[in-house]
Amino acid sequence: KCGQINISAPVVRLGDPVTASCTISQNCSHLDPEPQILWRLGKEQEQPGQRQQRLPDGTWKSTITLPYLNHTHTFLSCCVQWGNHPQILDQAELQAGYPPAVPSNLSCFMNLTTNSLTCQWEPGPNTYLPTTFILKSFKSRGNCQTQEDSVFDCVPEKRHSYCSIPRKQLLLYQNMVIWVRAENALGVRESPQLCLDPVDVVKLEPPTLWALEPSPQAAPPQPHCLCFGWEPWKPSIYMDQECELRHRPQQEGASWAQVAPLPSSIHQYELCGLLPATVYALQMRCIRSPLPGYWSSWSPSLELRTTE
Amino acid sequence: PLSPASALPIPRSFLLKSLEQVRKIQAEGTELLEALVSECTTYKLCHPEELALLGHSLGIPHAPLSSCTSQGLQPEGCLSQLHSGLVLYQSLLQALAGISAEVSPALDMLQLDVTNFAITIWQQMEDLGVAPEVKPIQGTMPAFTSAFQRRAGGVLVISNLQNFLELAYRVLRYLTK
Repeated sequence: KCGQINISAPVVRLGDPVTASCTISQNCSHLDPEPQILWRLGKEQEQPGQRQQRLPDGTWKSTITLPYLNHTHTFLSCCVQWGNHPQILDQAELQAGYPPAVPSNLSCFMNLTTNSLTCQWEPGPNTYLPTTFILKSFKSRGNCQTQEDSVFDCVPEKRHSYCSIPRKQLLLYQNMVIWVRAENALGVRESPQLCLDPVDVVKLEPPTLWALEPSPQAAPPQPHCLCFGWEPWKPSIYMDQECELRHRPQQEGASWAQVAPLPSSIHQYELCGLLPATVYALQMRCIRSPLPGYWSSWSPSLELRTTE
Repeated sequence: PLSPASALPIPRSFLLKSLEQVRKIQAEGTELLEALVSECTTYKLCHPEELALLGHSLGIPHAPLSSCTSQGLQPEGCLSQLHSGLVLYQSLLQALAGISAEVSPALDMLQLDVTNFAITIWQQMEDLGVAPEVKPIQGTMPAFTSAFQRRAGGVLVISNLQNFLELAYRVLRYLTK
């Protein structure tokens, strides 16, 4: 091999210096007795190194220091002048960027449909380097001071800042420790750890509302009242929940009026005190209660009309 | 009515979580049982009562809850029996693996939830300082050696589990009051 490059580090911080040396072996035939070694960075013009010396064993060595590397990805070539054209004898790949930032805003929610725990985070500014993020977790208990099981690595898809831990890796109704690890060639950063029970971060879907058909047995609807049926989101039926109802007339500028709480065990409701002969939009949402959880979003509107 | 509980300071949050876990497992058990029994027309496995003899011959054990009954509630003993029972059903459900492609996912989920519930109970026993030094060792499990035995065993095991959970629910509700 005629030429051999050695560089201080293939990956440096953006703006940091890079030092490289190129050694030309003496048995590199066809060369001048005193070859002039040149360096080419990317597509820039060739330049000589700061120092070129002949070593005792007859090889020639050139050393160059680039004061600051401001290319995130480039190539450094070692060349010699030969005839009319510089000849490339070796090439080194250089990358520059930043170490990862500490991943932030880690949050999780439990999906009862897929039975997985999805966590998302802020990856931080662009590092210009290949950076991997891994969502790490282990089963714990109490205030998360003990590790009850091995660490599970959830590797997100490329460029995704979220990952879903499958049911098999979850311990429901006990606390788990969850955090994010970011790593690239310039360093490793880990997010603060979360200590949570997956079931306490269940994301409920809204309940379902429907109009109740008037039946001969039931009393005729009151002029100022509306009756409707509803039921919590089916996958969460085993959870005690608290639900809220809001309603507003279909009139310009009308605002929502809220009715709470509706216990999740009674699935029919009569709403009174309304304007007669008016169309109302009704919406409901629920939250796991008294145990912790997140509010569902409001349900789609059920539109009902009060009688004359 | 159940006799008054002794002075074991069982946290309310533990009881609420346990009640929720029981309801979750019961719901899954009901769905799985319906799936197994819905194969009735094909396999004539409609009534668990018709499988009692098979259950004995297969050696499907029952989980005692004598410390949880109304005659003499002993919360400490009851928690221990709940845990042992859940560990038993965890193993029985594991022995049913391969029961059928359609119900395997539901069976896996049920087993995971039973396992997690057993951990909830065990860790609470540890926190209360009433957990035995050594976890109960599981006895030999029945060997379901044919597709029929796995299907029939599935109906029996899950029916027994539902009965077990019913009793567990009653005592947990009582302890919540």
